[in-house]
Amino acid sequence: MSFSDREILETVRMLELETLDIRTTTLGISLFDCADPDLESACEKVYAKVVHHGKDLVAVADSIAGDYGVPIVNKRIAVTPIAWVGAASGADDLSPLARALDAAAAAVGVDFIGGYSAYVEKGFTRADRALIDSIPIALATTERVCSSVVLASTRAGINLEAVRRFAEVVQDTARRTAARGGIGCAKLVCFANAVADNPFVAGAHMGVGEPETVLNVGVSGPGVVRSALERLGPEADLLAVAETVKRMAFKISRVGELVGREAARRLGTVFGVVDVSLAPTPAPGDSVADILEIIGVERTGAPGTTAALALLTDAVKKGGAMASSSVGGLSGAFIPVSEDAGMIRAVAEGALSLAKLEAMTAVCSVGLDMVAVPGDTPVSTLTGIIADEMAIGVVNNKTTAVRIIPVPGKSAGETVEWGGLLGTAIVQDPGRFGCEVFHRRGGRIPAPLQSYRN
Amino acid sequence: MARRFLTAEDVRRASAAEIVLEEGTVVTPQALEAAEQAGIVLRTGAAAYREPAPDRGPDAQATRQRLPHLPEPHDNPALESAAIVTAVGKNRPGVLAAITAAIAEHKGNVNDVSQKVVEGYFHMILTVQLEPGTSFDAFKTALECLSCPDDFAVRVMNERLFRP
Repeated sequence: MSFSDREILETVRMLELETLDIRTTTLGISLFDCADPDLESACEKVYAKVVHHGKDLVAVADSIAGDYGVPIVNKRIAVTPIAWVGAASGADDLSPLARALDAAAAAVGVDFIGGYSAYVEKGFTRADRALIDSIPIALATTERVCSSVVLASTRAGINLEAVRRFAEVVQDTARRTAARGGIGCAKLVCFANAVADNPFVAGAHMGVGEPETVLNVGVSGPGVVRSALERLGPEADLLAVAETVKRMAFKISRVGELVGREAARRLGTVFGVVDVSLAPTPAPGDSVADILEIIGVERTGAPGTTAALALLTDAVKKGGAMASSSVGGLSGAFIPVSEDAGMIRAVAEGALSLAKLEAMTAVCSVGLDMVAVPGDTPVSTLTGIIADEMAIGVVNNKTTAVRIIPVPGKSAGETVEWGGLLGTAIVQDPGRFGCEVFHRRGGRIPAPLQSYRN
Repeated sequence: MARRFLTAEDVRRASAAEIVLEEGTVVTPQALEAAEQAGIVLRTGAAAYREPAPDRGPDAQATRQRLPHLPEPHDNPALESAAIVTAVGKNRPGVLAAITAAIAEHKGNVNDVSQKVVEGYFHMILTVQLEPGTSFDAFKTALECLSCPDDFAVRVMNERLFRP
């Protein structure tokens, strides 16, 4: 037999017991050719193009899942930022394009479509402004559309005007979806140093420099890493921990690359990247916080958490890089609070504060993700939280994001239930001190010295 | 590059009784409806319009033509149809027979077997070559259906998962 029994049983275990899966196959579709001076015609083209290219995605993903016996959990679509597509129309309200995307996503059977987006890290075009203004109505009137706004980059600095406007949009979106715990904000994210090939929602979109169509894959497997570390035991040193995580990330990435290349081939398109990310879900065992606790912190948020997370993120990237030449996207460890049962346990027990979470985002691969704050949090405080997170990304030359939900009618310590993959959140306290003057100043934080690299 | 889309507005502006489209143009659903209402015929060349195959772009085209092929399963039918079957559970007479009978029914050829029984429990791994054209999915479903919740569990995986 060309494989040892051990290898085979290990793979069976990864698939059966440790929730190894392909978290998402995301088809990127360029919509540049859908621009039209007439908004209605632009909507028609957007709908037609997404359906034209996306109609086989679900069937192809399902056929691969059948042929290889690896579950493919989500099928999604990412498109060109709509601010660029809608610019030619000169319309003040671009939300009809969001509804066209929503209808197209429903027609092809994907659960989310990302790309109701704009890049404003240095300033606004008229279309950027129109798009951002229409985000609350777009998210309140659609089911599957996800929106992202790029507010900062290492090259451009932080656009505080945009951060302020985004904070208002977050508040407004929460208010418009108040009946469902402000769930609209779960589909709304802002970025520093956004990646143009990220297959994971809510930030998925197709930036400039991407091909006409491309298939990106996101693999996940916190459970695989967790149980490998459990078997390693508490006596092993951190070098051994890093080595174990790396080996598991390697295996996960190989499966991702296999599936991605095969899906691209069956669709007749280009294989883009495999994003190797430990993306937790509320399911038992599928938790990044659990991994941190097995590495050795008593509860996530305790001293040592940031260091353990740094080790984890780095080892995942290294394992991925050895397994595939096409590693991209965000690749690392995600720490969305509400989607991770272990993180919620840590918040409930008082181990994980917002401040510690922010420190952790300096070494994870995304940022403040799925964090609930009181519904009456002032816009200036939201501006401050977002600007802090953008600063971490800009100065450290990495991607950071904020997905924050000011839950209407809830105050700190209360629980909000979103259900499904979004999980349960405990409203966290942003503290009683604000940043009103900082907020009012507006303007731009210039690019840091490390951006001058030419 | 051909015109990318034909919209309802394009149809309304057209004064002729027919619109001739270039190869590759996508007609939006609204345009189809508008054309039908106005009695305008849509043609691609001599034939009636049919939705073209998706044009995935220049990179996709180039990839198909040029790729210095890494070995892909579809290049080698033998690889495409190799399966690994594992079964774990309580030992009782007839388990092996049930599994191998199901494999034979799907014209699978057992290449290799490894089996162990420990205190009344067994685990078994088989590598199976399927005949070209056999559906992996159907094979997998048939074998996994043999699993009894309290008795033993059968899992089927594609051999490619193990190839580095």
